[in-house]
Amino acid sequence: MSELLNTLMQDARVWQGHRHTQTTQPAEPTGYQVLDNQLGGLGWPRGALSECLLDAPGIGELHLLLPLMQRVCEEGKSVFWLNPPHTPYAPALAREGVNLDQVVLIHTDDEGDFLWTLENCLRSPVTGLVMAWPGKLASREVRRLQLAAEAGSNVCVLFRERCYAGQNSPAALRLELEPGEQQDLKVNVLKRRGSWPGQRCSLAMAQRADLAFRETTRVVRGPWSGSTG
Amino acid sequence: MLWLYLHFPHLMLDHIRRTREDEGALVVVEGSGQKVIQACPDARSQGIRTGMRLKTAISLAPDLGMVRADETQEARILEDQARWLYRYAAHIVLVPPDGLLAEIGSLQKLYGGLAAVWQTVEQGLNERQLNAWIGIGYTPLAARLIARAGKGECTADKGHILRSLSQMPLLAAEFNEKACTRLQRLGLNTLGEVFDLPPGELARRLSPELLAYIQKIQGTRPDPRTPWQPPHSFRQQADFVQEIEHTQGLLFPLQRMLVELEEDLCWRQQDTDSLRLVLKHRHAEPTRLQIRTSGPEHRADHFLNLVRLRLEQHSLSAPVISMVLLVKRFLSREAPSGQDLLGETQDLNEAWHTLISRLQARLGDQALRQLSPQADHRPERAWSASEVLRKTGTPLVPAAELPRRPLWLLKGPQPLTEAPVTWFSGPERISGGWWDGQRVHRDYYIAQLNSGQLAWVFRDAREGWFVHGWFG
Repeated sequence: MSELLNTLMQDARVWQGHRHTQTTQPAEPTGYQVLDNQLGGLGWPRGALSECLLDAPGIGELHLLLPLMQRVCEEGKSVFWLNPPHTPYAPALAREGVNLDQVVLIHTDDEGDFLWTLENCLRSPVTGLVMAWPGKLASREVRRLQLAAEAGSNVCVLFRERCYAGQNSPAALRLELEPGEQQDLKVNVLKRRGSWPGQRCSLAMAQRADLAFRETTRVVRGPWSGSTG
Repeated sequence: MLWLYLHFPHLMLDHIRRTREDEGALVVVEGSGQKVIQACPDARSQGIRTGMRLKTAISLAPDLGMVRADETQEARILEDQARWLYRYAAHIVLVPPDGLLAEIGSLQKLYGGLAAVWQTVEQGLNERQLNAWIGIGYTPLAARLIARAGKGECTADKGHILRSLSQMPLLAAEFNEKACTRLQRLGLNTLGEVFDLPPGELARRLSPELLAYIQKIQGTRPDPRTPWQPPHSFRQQADFVQEIEHTQGLLFPLQRMLVELEEDLCWRQQDTDSLRLVLKHRHAEPTRLQIRTSGPEHRADHFLNLVRLRLEQHSLSAPVISMVLLVKRFLSREAPSGQDLLGETQDLNEAWHTLISRLQARLGDQALRQLSPQADHRPERAWSASEVLRKTGTPLVPAAELPRRPLWLLKGPQPLTEAPVTWFSGPERISGGWWDGQRVHRDYYIAQLNSGQLAWVFRDAREGWFVHGWFG
């Protein structure tokens, strides 16, 4: 019995408020040092679900995953995009050094197919990363996905709406994403294994549109001056 | 030349019995449906005999399974057996409706003696749950007569074969009825006595055709037979006594068919990537299913998994009376090309094909897509989606040569409904498509909206503003 308890403690499955446990669970660095520090030096957990909660696309959410995507493709593993809301733009991905041969786009019609596909991808050894846009998902189904993720050792990131931030979820890592003032990405850690949540950090994402390299004086002003028309 | 003859006394019965899970009394009735012409051991133990009237048979065994004899079907089943026998012997002749001839004289050295050939064939028959009587003779007809009389012995001794032929009664020699009666009236009872008659007299007093037949048995007159050529496709059919209403019931016979496909592919040293499954119904158009794998494949369990997935998706529109498995497309088998000692790459390749095939089987081929950039200035044409293929080693385009583009492209430009907060770069003029009528003339800007999203917006020639992508 005590052995079982020890395992639970070591994997940080049981959350202990009074101390920070150094977990030994496998993880992939995010590629952003600031965020890695906030996540206890680990990053994206492998063999577990991660959730990114955001309002709308276009705030740098893909760039958050880009370092991992590049690494996975280099290792010769596949990146699956499951039901993305828009088309991942091939020239941009190629420019970022993502090997498109490893990228597979999947569209499913109904929820049953979605869960089935996600489970199959997660269990396969060829998968490196699964990014999924599930839409509505009951917490029982998130649990089912979490179990499927544990069967493999891949990173699985669900992109969900920010309104789910208040709900509980069995995912191992939950990040709330918000756009910042300087085209940066504000990350709020809602949940992580082995420690208190609530860490906040801001990641510079201006490079995603080459903005950092432009001086303000050289920016071409738009045709609008404050109001429409 | 030494010939081996296989006589299948109840081929149709064997064929149907091995696609059935449950054992039960089974008979084959003649075309008009009046008489029993073949009965399985179960039926025979209940007192049913061949030649019995169907009504009598049903009163003996009320839950009797019945199949109507069908000539074309019998011919097809016989050809199935020829395909199997072709693995062991090259020169095969079909003798419809229930016999196969194989030239085995040339095989003795290969198998190490006649006994080994005999054993191989018998073992094959057992594996396929087929009942056959085997006969060996120096002419096709001699082999046939011996097999059909059930007197087959594993010997190549000419004297011995001749003796067993000579002792054969006239009725077993398959003369036509008129000739048989006349020979009997002459006081002849066995084939040997006919052999002893002088040929000239035989032709004059009976008929030249009879002489030719006798000489063909003896081997003094040539009896050429056209060898059978195996078709360049695989076809297996399962016929059901009781109609099958649930897809689960199809899996059992399918498994046997797929194992036979695996064997067949193994003998061909080829793989395939598409199977066709035709489910026939009694009153409706047959259902056709195409099952594809993402790469060359030959293993039965892999195919079975894919078919199971497909059948789970597909509920039967009507009960199935027979099922046909067809493979017409064969691919050359690739030798495992794993370069590393531990064979890890090979495993990944295989796992990749397994996963993609599974996904395609359930979701359809169109659901899975792979992206690639295209050489076009127009954003909506600068990419393409194609079927998923395992590619490795495509060189990466040097990153700096491509212009800055957003990671999300909208399915079509959306009207811009609000004034952006900040404008960053632009305009980038993209003008093209005059050559194919899909004219594009736009100025692209990068702008931030109120919500904090970085958008790729453009103004077209008619001064309309649109969002075309998000910098995700």
